[in-house]
Amino acid sequence: MATTSAKAPPPEVKMEDAEALQAPVSDIGPRRERLYDKCAEATEGTVFFQRDLSNMDIAESVTDLLRIVQDLLDKHLFILMKFEGVPCWKIRPREEAAKLRKLNADERLIYHHIEQSKANGIWSKALRARTKVTQHVLNKTLKLLENKELVQMVLSVKFPNRKMYLLKHLRPSEDIAGGPWQSEGQYDIALIHAVAGLIETFIRKETCVEVPADYNNYQALDRSSAIEEKKAQVHAIQDIEDPPAVRAYHPPRDSASPKIVARHDVKHPTAASLRQRVMESGAIKNKEIRDSDMEQLLEMMVLEGRLEKVSGTNYKLASRATNTAGLNGFVDAPCGTCPVFDLCGDTGEISARTCVYFGEWLATDS
Amino acid sequence: MAYAQRDTPVIETLCVHLVEHHCGELAARVFSVLARYGRQTLSSVARASYLNTRQSRMGMSLLVQEDLVFHSSTDPQATYYEINWVNTYGLVRHGPATQLVQARFGKRAAKVLTTIVSMGQASMEELREVYFPTPDEDSEDEGDSGHVNGTHKTNGVTVNGTSATTNGVVNGHATGHMNGVVQNGLTGNAKVNGVNKRRRAEDDTGDEERDHVTEDENKPNSVEELDAIVHHLMLHGWIMQSEENQHLSPGELHVMARNMAIETELSGIAPTGITQETRIDIATLQRKRDIRDAWTRTPEVRTRKRKAADPDFSRSSKRLKAIDGHQRPAARDTDIVVLHAALTVRLNPEKVAVAMRTEELVRLVDQRLGHVPAVIYQIMLRMIEEHLPRCYEPWPDPLPANPEATLDVEMDPRVLVAASDVLKKIDKTVDLLDGLDPSTILSTLRAGTHRVTKENKIHPPIDPAELRDAKPSLITKHIELIANHPFHFVTWHSRAGGSQWRIEFEEIAKAMVQHEIETTISAGPDLESKYGVKLIRALHKKGKLDERGIGNAMMMQTSEIRSVINGLTLRGFIQTQEIPRVERREAKHSLHLIYYDRQRAREKLLHDTYKGMTRIVQRLMFEKERVQTLLEKAERTDVEGNESMYLSQDELDTLKGFKGVEEKLMEQLFRQDELVATLRDYIGPLMSA
Repeated sequence: MATTSAKAPPPEVKMEDAEALQAPVSDIGPRRERLYDKCAEATEGTVFFQRDLSNMDIAESVTDLLRIVQDLLDKHLFILMKFEGVPCWKIRPREEAAKLRKLNADERLIYHHIEQSKANGIWSKALRARTKVTQHVLNKTLKLLENKELVQMVLSVKFPNRKMYLLKHLRPSEDIAGGPWQSEGQYDIALIHAVAGLIETFIRKETCVEVPADYNNYQALDRSSAIEEKKAQVHAIQDIEDPPAVRAYHPPRDSASPKIVARHDVKHPTAASLRQRVMESGAIKNKEIRDSDMEQLLEMMVLEGRLEKVSGTNYKLASRATNTAGLNGFVDAPCGTCPVFDLCGDTGEISARTCVYFGEWLATDS
Repeated sequence: MAYAQRDTPVIETLCVHLVEHHCGELAARVFSVLARYGRQTLSSVARASYLNTRQSRMGMSLLVQEDLVFHSSTDPQATYYEINWVNTYGLVRHGPATQLVQARFGKRAAKVLTTIVSMGQASMEELREVYFPTPDEDSEDEGDSGHVNGTHKTNGVTVNGTSATTNGVVNGHATGHMNGVVQNGLTGNAKVNGVNKRRRAEDDTGDEERDHVTEDENKPNSVEELDAIVHHLMLHGWIMQSEENQHLSPGELHVMARNMAIETELSGIAPTGITQETRIDIATLQRKRDIRDAWTRTPEVRTRKRKAADPDFSRSSKRLKAIDGHQRPAARDTDIVVLHAALTVRLNPEKVAVAMRTEELVRLVDQRLGHVPAVIYQIMLRMIEEHLPRCYEPWPDPLPANPEATLDVEMDPRVLVAASDVLKKIDKTVDLLDGLDPSTILSTLRAGTHRVTKENKIHPPIDPAELRDAKPSLITKHIELIANHPFHFVTWHSRAGGSQWRIEFEEIAKAMVQHEIETTISAGPDLESKYGVKLIRALHKKGKLDERGIGNAMMMQTSEIRSVINGLTLRGFIQTQEIPRVERREAKHSLHLIYYDRQRAREKLLHDTYKGMTRIVQRLMFEKERVQTLLEKAERTDVEGNESMYLSQDELDTLKGFKGVEEKLMEQLFRQDELVATLRDYIGPLMSA
């Protein structure tokens, strides 16, 4: 991986032929533009070595090429980098370069350091330590850079009171911004809520089936009991050895509503399979979700009592209480939820005798 | 607050109310003195209270009769009395215990049990007297219509405060004898009684069948039947023998057991060194278990041949319990059980807890999985209930050094249930298809004539009466539902009998405790009900966490959780801890951890529940006080039964209103008692939370 040179800013390029620089400068403007455009055609983020640039067949000689490159560097259109000790270059967007050209030395220095930290960002204190500027200058410069929309400030998730700076166009890395569930250092409750609902629906579809109330609509005349009924009529007395003359069938207990029951041969989903389902559904855009992120969300849902874990990696829907006749003896009585329970005594202002909640519950006066 | 001014312990208040309710004011006064001052002699009780010696003796004798105090005479100078908290709290369970027995053994057994619990402890002779009074005594007792009045005869209880003997044991069998039953043998009017027991399938439907035989269906028909019922209840562990060493306080029992252990293990020489101490400790526990197990042992019964005239109730064809490792000869069908007249029995509170646990578990399954699994689970639990003497072992042997070795230990086959056993007992009208996926149902059928339609219906419909072959696998499917619940209500054991299952009560009990704590929290105020359960689950899973850790585990802003943490800490469900990171112990530089200790939360909730029960009892007293005059009027012998004739419409309405309030409060009291059982009785202290 190419790394930006630590020597900042605009670094001295080690020229193979130093004298070449002293040669009279012909107009290199059009060639500079051509070289830049040529480089811009490549995939974004490509680095170019001297070999690549000369292969573009724009410069007339090595000396000329180097002059052009130096010019690009001065105009902030190129970024000098190093790959295994060999210098290489990367292009910078024109607008950005234009903004950079307007900066003063301090600003450029700080910008350079921020740029180096990439998506991880750099802590303002670390920035100060590296650049050795005064706090005042640092603050002023950072504010300026922010105003010019060159850098952005993000609060670190790990250290909530640290201001981390990184370039404006970059997305903060997970280390400082947290996983996909966090935005701007805070948990994105709306997103979490939506995805959790989605997951619940997926799991329900996958592991449960809806059984209509009349799933086994057994109406046909029961032959054996019909025989027995006939027999009973004929004999008047039933033989105790025979099956009873009534149909032994218990109708469904709550016949009205369909039931959700566990599917036959159920395969419980895992974090990986659920992640795939969520990504396929297109509910999450612009965000990368890894299996570990999904697992974090699923674990949280287990804590919420929405899911249950089966055998370590698989999840199923939590079994909800179907008939909630009451919670427990304590909380169903007034005492269980009484706001003054701790103040209540055997005697005194607050006691069982004077209790308004008891009065309300029993419909008697206190 | 100064120590002297502190609140009276909640359980003490509750128990005093209970004693007052059951034994009257005098006993309650003595009880409260004992509760306040702890272990006392009778004379010091008199001194500490405003009661005179005669009154305190009367009160104490009531407490002794109801078995609410421990008393021992190891000190030859005086007898010390100490409260038996477990039995005293147990007063609240007398009603529910009767109901549990009724559901299992029918109304008559319940009636017999009511008689026994109301008398505290009763000999067979007394019981026979209650139901079948001998004519001459009957005339004396005429006025005392309710012969189940626990206080009407103190049965020779002489509370002798100063002498060496206490004679707390009823029925006058000599104090020194540990086993008065054998000593007394057949005396007096001990008739040779007996009855045939036929084992009913623990259903109360059997009751109705024989109702037409008797006038009062709730009373045993004959002395033979009474004996049979008592014997049956003893075999199932519901009642146990009343013995002298039951009246020893836990401390004295420990000393006794330890002395016995030293006597046998080290021939009376006090142990020295850690090895010997450990050996004695283990032997002491063993001794305690032996003493306790002896209580629930069913005594040898005399039998006689069955006569044609003998009633047919509850013929006992079941094998007797294997005790001492050897099997007793089974009582044959044709034999009739005869119990000794002097056999004294009392309720076994441990068994009540076992039955309460069964009911609670069935209720949970019914709530969470539906009716059919609950029916099946109830059958499974009741089948093994007989072989579970208690919910957990309070005096277990220390864990072996390598726990792996115990894994291979053979399970007692009597506490395993197979699907085929359930099939034998299940009610034929239960719709086994209910609550299953139609595809699952079809997979249990052999023939392929049925199929599942698009709307998830079975076509052609299955005749539930023709499921005979599929029934075992259908039952297994339901049991699997129970097993897959996160509580793991049952655990697969082997393939015997379709599928054989065991029940790991210890793990379930822990889950139940946790469940009750969560339920209580979820009923709390707004935010706590929303996030409280999630918070304690997160803490339970991850251990001690600081605020940020909690935020990450719950995926929420810490600012939102803060108030929830605060509220739960105040209610005592979670604890906080501050660990300084720098020497100066600045709050800013300290770690602030939050953690959840299940045992602490359990104790807190238990305490709160006791308090809630106390308030209910107090409220009931208050409500009663307000209609006191009316109640007195309604309870007059001439008014009782003819209320509509003597009372005005207003009075009738008030009375009805009060009855409703009383019922509501009592119902709630029993439900809180169920919570107490879950929190306290199903599992010992949870050391590693």
